[in-house]
Amino acid sequence: MRRRELAAAAVLLAFGLWALTQARGLRFGTVAAPGPGFFPLCLAGALCLAGIGLFVQARRTAPGDVTAPAAGVRRFAVAGTLGALLIYALVLEQLGFLLATFALLVFFFKALQRQSWLVVVGGSLATALLSWLVFKIWLGVNLPGGLLRF
Amino acid sequence: MDLLGGLAYGLGVTLAPANLLACFAGVFVGTLIGVLPGIGPVATMSLLLPVTYAMSPTASIILMAGVYYGAMYGGSTTSILVNIPGEAASVVTCLDGYQMARQGRAGPALGMAAIASFIAGTLSVLGIMLLAPPLTKAALRFGPPEIFGLLLLGFTMVTYLTAGSKLKAVAMALLGMLLGTIGLDPITASPRFTYGSLTLADGLGLVPIIMGLFGISEVLLNIERGVEQEVFDTRIKGLLPSREDWKRSAAPIARGSLLGFFLGILPGIGAIIPTFISYALERRLSKHPERFGTGMIEGVAAPEAANNAATGGSMIPLLTLGIAPNVVMAVLLSAFLIHGVQPGPLLIREHPEIFWGVIASMYVGNAMLLVLNLPLIGLWVQLLRVPYGILFPLILMFCVIGVYSESGNVWDIVVMLAFGGLGYLMRKFGYEPAPMVLAFVLGRMAEESIRQALLMSRGSFDILLTRPLATTFLALAFAVMVVPLVLPSVKRALRSVPLEQGEG
Repeated sequence: MRRRELAAAAVLLAFGLWALTQARGLRFGTVAAPGPGFFPLCLAGALCLAGIGLFVQARRTAPGDVTAPAAGVRRFAVAGTLGALLIYALVLEQLGFLLATFALLVFFFKALQRQSWLVVVGGSLATALLSWLVFKIWLGVNLPGGLLRF
Repeated sequence: MDLLGGLAYGLGVTLAPANLLACFAGVFVGTLIGVLPGIGPVATMSLLLPVTYAMSPTASIILMAGVYYGAMYGGSTTSILVNIPGEAASVVTCLDGYQMARQGRAGPALGMAAIASFIAGTLSVLGIMLLAPPLTKAALRFGPPEIFGLLLLGFTMVTYLTAGSKLKAVAMALLGMLLGTIGLDPITASPRFTYGSLTLADGLGLVPIIMGLFGISEVLLNIERGVEQEVFDTRIKGLLPSREDWKRSAAPIARGSLLGFFLGILPGIGAIIPTFISYALERRLSKHPERFGTGMIEGVAAPEAANNAATGGSMIPLLTLGIAPNVVMAVLLSAFLIHGVQPGPLLIREHPEIFWGVIASMYVGNAMLLVLNLPLIGLWVQLLRVPYGILFPLILMFCVIGVYSESGNVWDIVVMLAFGGLGYLMRKFGYEPAPMVLAFVLGRMAEESIRQALLMSRGSFDILLTRPLATTFLALAFAVMVVPLVLPSVKRALRSVPLEQGEG
């Protein structure tokens, strides 16, 4: 618990410091006529202070307060979900909405849910087609056609 | 336009077929996502933003508002039947509502929740009608110092009302404001933190951030936790509460409505905190405080009234000042801006059809919700039997469609996923997303107002202390920080208020 708190505070502090160096590159102006760098610099400085404060707070808490970490399989499911979505985003415009969404749903239903193949393929196909009809055709939402341009 | 004239005019606007349809669609979708755990009003409203492009501004706002108060109705159903809040403002309803269901009184609990919501919703519309026009007149005198003071008050409230570490909330608010500075400087339009990227010059989008922090991260947490839904399997009979139920609930509904409405107006509060305060109040006033949590109908009626009244109250700062008091209103604000309408003191004069139309639509929508939630309750119960394994891929898919269709840019999906991962980590480490999102939205306004105020005063911060209204806001913000330190009872009360988490 304590180590996690310390780590989180350190990340915030590091981000604040980095933002500080970046904000210094912007024109600060004067207090009477603040420039573009005025507000970001104040914010970054305040974020650094908050990060230091959190670090000190975390150091004061008792060490060894261990909370049970999430089960390994579940954590894998979280990473897998995010990873699959990232790949989906990268191939969406090339493959098109229908193909990419079909593949994504197959992955979710099969890899994370372990349904039977018939359910997986049928369900994914139906869902992808239905959402295409509703969003693209009915609501006129802009979705990429990709390989299956029609 | 006087009040009745305004309302009659608004009813005329609302009853136009397109607006009536928008109102129905809004409250229907609102009930739907209110019933479903894992997706709430914030994510849904962001999702619907692109759908409203083709609609008139009035119909869009009517639809969006309908989702928000509709979700307050739907949320209670899941709380009562499954003991999981359908959305965060119904957490408290679980306590007594689920116990009532276990005692075979699911019907009266659901009925009272809907009726309390209806009464509170209607009262809060009345409140908006009475308060908004005079506040609009006052707001016309607001200059940059007053706006900055009010925003500072909002930031203070949102950070000091989170139950977890205040410092963490402050850090998140600062981070949100920093992220908001990416893009063009609001005054000189010079690029900041864009690193030559045209996409970054537009700034980060609100929709991908919200969908990530409230939609994706919620799903990730549910996947990790493994949601087990066990619908309370009982035939729901007799939705109408008994005479005894009515007698016990009347005063709690009235108190819950008043409390919810006035708390809802304050910046940073939202619809969740009033439910906890009203539950605590009823327990304190009750002759049998020990029986709360065992199926007391007061424990259902009061918080359900409070969360509905709060949705109405929180519309006031947006309609009269153009300031979003909470994350939901921030999404509504962007719906206004997308359609080129600036909410604020001029709204009532420049767009009376929106102002009065939205208010009147809330009357109509509340009546629709009563029908949707009482006779049709069986439909929503069936929905609860859909397993989460089927639901979550759909929610993720909707998030992707929503974000992509808003801009047609794959980069926004990546931003959403990044914030989804960030939101997941933040909740694991006890950092709240609400202050961050609110600060992201209001930061730009805060920067503009303080820079303009300093230009006005030639660099003297005295300008914040010499104008009575601005000073009042600053004094209130200071009081919010200091009072809990001085009065331990207030501090304890605030501590029992939970995090504004998962309002998406």
